[in-house]
Amino acid sequence: MNKTEKMLVGEGTFAVLLMVFSLGIGYLSYQIAGFSSINSAGAFPLGVSLIMLLSSAAILLDLRKKSRPDSRGWITAFKQFSATHFPKRTLVFLALAIVYLGAIQWASFYLSTFAFLVASIVYLRNGRVASAGVIAAGLLLIIYLLFTLAFSVYLP
Amino acid sequence: MSETISYLLMAWTDPNLLLLTALGTFAGIYIGAIPGLSVTMAASILVSFTFSWDVNNALALIVGIYIGGVYGGSRSAILLNIPGAPSSIATAFDGYPLALQGEAGRAIGLSTVMSVIGGLVGVLVLACAAPVIGDLALRFAPRDYFLVAGIGLLLVGSLCQGSLAKGIFAAALGAIIGMVGMDPVTAQGRFTLGQVELMGGIHYVVLMIGLFGVAEAIYQLHNLDSTPIRQKVDKIIPSLAMVLKFLPLSIRTSVIGVLVGVLPGVGGDIAALMAYDHAKRSVKNPTQPFGKGAYEGLIAAESANSAAVGGAYVPMLTLGMPGDAVTAVIVGALVVHGLNPGPMLMVDNPHIFWFTVGNLALANVFLLILGMMGIKLFAKLVEIPKAVLIPLIMVLCVVGTYSINSSMTEVYWMLGFGLLGYLLKIFGFQMGPIVLGAILGPLMDTSYRQAMSSAGDNPVELLNELVSSPLSLILSTALILILLSNTPLFSWLKQKIRQSA
Repeated sequence: MNKTEKMLVGEGTFAVLLMVFSLGIGYLSYQIAGFSSINSAGAFPLGVSLIMLLSSAAILLDLRKKSRPDSRGWITAFKQFSATHFPKRTLVFLALAIVYLGAIQWASFYLSTFAFLVASIVYLRNGRVASAGVIAAGLLLIIYLLFTLAFSVYLP
Repeated sequence: MSETISYLLMAWTDPNLLLLTALGTFAGIYIGAIPGLSVTMAASILVSFTFSWDVNNALALIVGIYIGGVYGGSRSAILLNIPGAPSSIATAFDGYPLALQGEAGRAIGLSTVMSVIGGLVGVLVLACAAPVIGDLALRFAPRDYFLVAGIGLLLVGSLCQGSLAKGIFAAALGAIIGMVGMDPVTAQGRFTLGQVELMGGIHYVVLMIGLFGVAEAIYQLHNLDSTPIRQKVDKIIPSLAMVLKFLPLSIRTSVIGVLVGVLPGVGGDIAALMAYDHAKRSVKNPTQPFGKGAYEGLIAAESANSAAVGGAYVPMLTLGMPGDAVTAVIVGALVVHGLNPGPMLMVDNPHIFWFTVGNLALANVFLLILGMMGIKLFAKLVEIPKAVLIPLIMVLCVVGTYSINSSMTEVYWMLGFGLLGYLLKIFGFQMGPIVLGAILGPLMDTSYRQAMSSAGDNPVELLNELVSSPLSLILSTALILILLSNTPLFSWLKQKIRQSA
């Protein structure tokens, strides 16, 4: 067996989670109409969830061909996974995006978008607040001209 | 005959119609390039204020928007990996890798030329074979739609790049997402978890923006410190030799585009994916591997989605059945102007048919001219520092998603899909099969149930119908052959045949 390819940190756990998720989808599909009829509202979803379950099992089995990652233990693996795929920069940007989406409705679209653009550009560039403000204002002007004036699109 | 020619050239000779077609094509390119701004939306808005216009003027503007919009989606697909329209999903597969190599200008130039070739093939088929093809499309029973959707889903084999199991899982996940909401037959809630907001379903454009836009933005945070790739903008217009080299592929995939576009409910998105699959199977030595910047992948997708426009007009003008959402809006516009699209249109108002054919050809010519303009400026978009580009992409994703149904819930879903897409991307899943599943899953579900109902809920009877109808038999055979070609048995057989030869 070729064991040259190494498993990514967290890949095994993710594959197991996919199987659990598929089982959950299978349960929800069954709840629609059970096995009442071959032509019921739940018949096709049941078939699709079976495909999900089988393919997730195949994904899990495929991992046997790969060698284990270097990390030892769950905590080390989690730390390594977080550091690789969710470093501080990603987490802060995601937090800014979530706050932005939460603020749109009560702080208005233009104000929250301006604040989001300035905050994220300043954070990603490590400073230069004034130029970030100018860029954000310029982008907002383009959005206003394009979406509100030209295309009359409803903005949040 | 002379009357037909005069109708055909009407848009080419009237300055007013020329201007409106050009204006529509120009606006369409930029509307299509912005994710979330759909051609359907633009056409619907236009129809509402063209009620009092002359029908030819209204049609000229809408045709321009349609042609420009289908093409425009390729811009953001190539430059940002965010398809501006669903028909550009397949364009992103090889277009974006080309932009990463500094070839965005050339990719857009080539996609413009190939879109025009595809569009003209579509117009030619519309002009020459509309009644015959329209009649064929009418013969499609629900079981045939089920088979077409099944063939479409088998494209997963081409799109998954690597693990087939991951591709199948992704497509099935997409199908489940596509089925969230009210069951179209019994109005029963499916996968709604008791949430009223989910009863209306999840629009696949929300999924597309999340998976391609947000996931890509998060992924690009890892490359924040990398120097922006300088785009080569000196050779935008492809050479004649290059166009001639890819012409056979463009024509082949255009024919696929027209045929798929003819089917009501199946549009440029599926046409482009099927054409991409065809290119991947038929081109032995691509310029680069598929998915890594093969011109062939780009050409197939762009030729097919533009050709599908001509295809979508076939059932609309000959049978009164819209081929896709935009042609449905155009049907509305024709009815408002006192015309009745359908079999009698060719008898009562033949000028509308020939005028549309000529106008579509004109819009394609304008596409060639206007599409080549502004490429240098567009290509520079990729050179914007990522610290500015990534937050801007996020804002565009929010605006684009909200504009679909004016729903903040869908914006939250979009962010959720973005995170899911990012996780899946980390572990080597492709986004294409998920969107493919979301589009084809509901179509397959509905057509399966209609087919089963027509067979009296009897699977044996349905199987009998599948082999007794010539059209179903051809489609079933194609499905089985494609299925077999995805198995190791096919590779083994091919190897054996080669050895014996």
